[in-house]
Amino acid sequence: MSGEAIVTENLTKIYGGKVHAVAGISFAVKPGEAFGFLGPNGAGKTTTVSMLTAGLQPTSGSAVIDGLDLARHPEEIKRRIGVIFQESTADQDLTGRENLEVAAGCYGIPSGEGRARAKALIEQMQLVEAANRLAKTYSGGMRRRLELAVGLINRPRILFLDEPTLGLDPQGRAGFWSFVQKLRRETGLTVFVTTHYLDEADGMCDRIAIIDHGKIVATGAPTELKDRLGGDVVTLKTADGAANVTEVVRGLPGVSDVQKQDGTYRVKCASGETLVPIAVEACAKAGVGILGVTVKRPSLDEVFLEFTGREFREEGEGLTATDRAVMLNRIQGQMRGGRR
Amino acid sequence: MFRELAALTRREFLRLARNPAAIFTSLLLPLLYLLLFGNGFTINPASFVGPNPGQFPTLPDALAYLFRGAPSYYSYFACGMVGFVAVTATLFAGANVIFDKLFGVFKRVRGTPAPSAAVFGSRLIASATQPILLAVFVLALAIVFAHIPGLHGLTVTASVGIVGALEVIAAIVLISLMFATLFLTFGILLEVPQTYFAAVNTINLPVLLTSDALYPWGTMPSWLQTISQYNPVSLAVNVLREVFFGSAAYPYGPGIYLAGLLGWTVVLVGLAIVLVGRALRPLA
Repeated sequence: MSGEAIVTENLTKIYGGKVHAVAGISFAVKPGEAFGFLGPNGAGKTTTVSMLTAGLQPTSGSAVIDGLDLARHPEEIKRRIGVIFQESTADQDLTGRENLEVAAGCYGIPSGEGRARAKALIEQMQLVEAANRLAKTYSGGMRRRLELAVGLINRPRILFLDEPTLGLDPQGRAGFWSFVQKLRRETGLTVFVTTHYLDEADGMCDRIAIIDHGKIVATGAPTELKDRLGGDVVTLKTADGAANVTEVVRGLPGVSDVQKQDGTYRVKCASGETLVPIAVEACAKAGVGILGVTVKRPSLDEVFLEFTGREFREEGEGLTATDRAVMLNRIQGQMRGGRR
Repeated sequence: MFRELAALTRREFLRLARNPAAIFTSLLLPLLYLLLFGNGFTINPASFVGPNPGQFPTLPDALAYLFRGAPSYYSYFACGMVGFVAVTATLFAGANVIFDKLFGVFKRVRGTPAPSAAVFGSRLIASATQPILLAVFVLALAIVFAHIPGLHGLTVTASVGIVGALEVIAAIVLISLMFATLFLTFGILLEVPQTYFAAVNTINLPVLLTSDALYPWGTMPSWLQTISQYNPVSLAVNVLREVFFGSAAYPYGPGIYLAGLLGWTVVLVGLAIVLVGRALRPLA
């Protein structure tokens, strides 16, 4: 275990003696690795980050960050890590440069050195033109880059990113991750990222832990997790009241599993393209009306469904995570406007 | 510790400088009180008979009891305004902490290893500076009003030496630090603006209304006079009035009132160190 960037053993957080926000998670992150914590809202991602960044006392269990025991060296851990929170934490009434200089001072960095680091990060994050503008005039993408710069001011060994692209449009998200990837290549930084954007976790992380209801349900590289699904997934949507097609499809060539969920059948198979015409024909012969067919190459959506037994974005959950994030951003903007 | 304190204090003053509306309104309140309340609310000491008729055979006797030696209600009230602004100007110190919590700024600072003393100290310096500057503004304005025909103003009747000036400065600094500490502690311990304002309103009005900052001493019932003499606002104001108008009407010298004020400040700062230290410790 020694030499790992992050190690947790049975890390647990229980609120009010009842709510098990994080229910005994154990994992290890290697130095230089990008480790993703993937799960829906309320899964326990932010609580985990809060504990690992010395902001919240675990109820039980242990964590070692960069070789330091969290319970014994929280202050030193704060010196060695960077944190990017899901909400904007920049002071809106300060310029980008001032935000960075104040952050440097908070780490006890001498003012001359702080100014030099701020200047370098402003250039690195392509904020030169906006450096002397108040942060409240920044676009969403610029604010995120400023957050990233603030999180790097102390030259951390490990960077924690808690839903860092929440509320950004796809272009802004891609831009943000390109900065993080470049940083990893140049510095060998260890990255611990929580997200509920499956595509981000897939493209960005070396390994992923899927967390649901405070428990890790699967860990592995994205390709490993997808391989565990055993091939493609064909979804057959049938009319209400149609006969059960499980028996019809189960015996077809290449099919490894069939699951029924709300009038649709998820059929795991070696090759979706080969199975579809055979399955449609078999259903027609059995008198089952097929309303729609989709073929999915294994994705993390499928992985999530496989390990938790439910869709990543539950029916009836209302707004999608993206919608919620955009709304949150809008409300924060309005509050800031009102405050001014 | 010093670098963290300096960086966070710089942040507080940058924010203050970027908010001219707040500066304007903080000046407007004492200006309106001095101009409207102080000039409108006048008491003629010559007609004051006191609790026992015949108690004050001469005007100086009545003045000594009613305004504790001040030559007019306005002069008495102008000193009280210094205590008043110490309470009202620091009231928002804690509210700013709550807003910083809501907007994530406080979370960022807490994510760094900056010690809680620097987090609290930076805000204390910025919050206490405002009432100190306002007190100077109030006293200067009140003295100027005394020279404008048709307006009442502050007339200093005693000779203020260096010791007296230092006593006045000490009283203003202590009362500002004390209330800034009190309200900042509330801001750090509480999370919601509604709860904060409910809490501070249960403190600021009783504190002001049981002090002799605005009430003429001689019109207070004796039980209120008793409470008032332990009130920190009264203690600070007493120092100013003794220095500006003489000590004849006071049982103790300014040093005793300053000691009382120092006691209040030490107790509240001590409580703040314990409570804020607990709230801002890592892994809280």
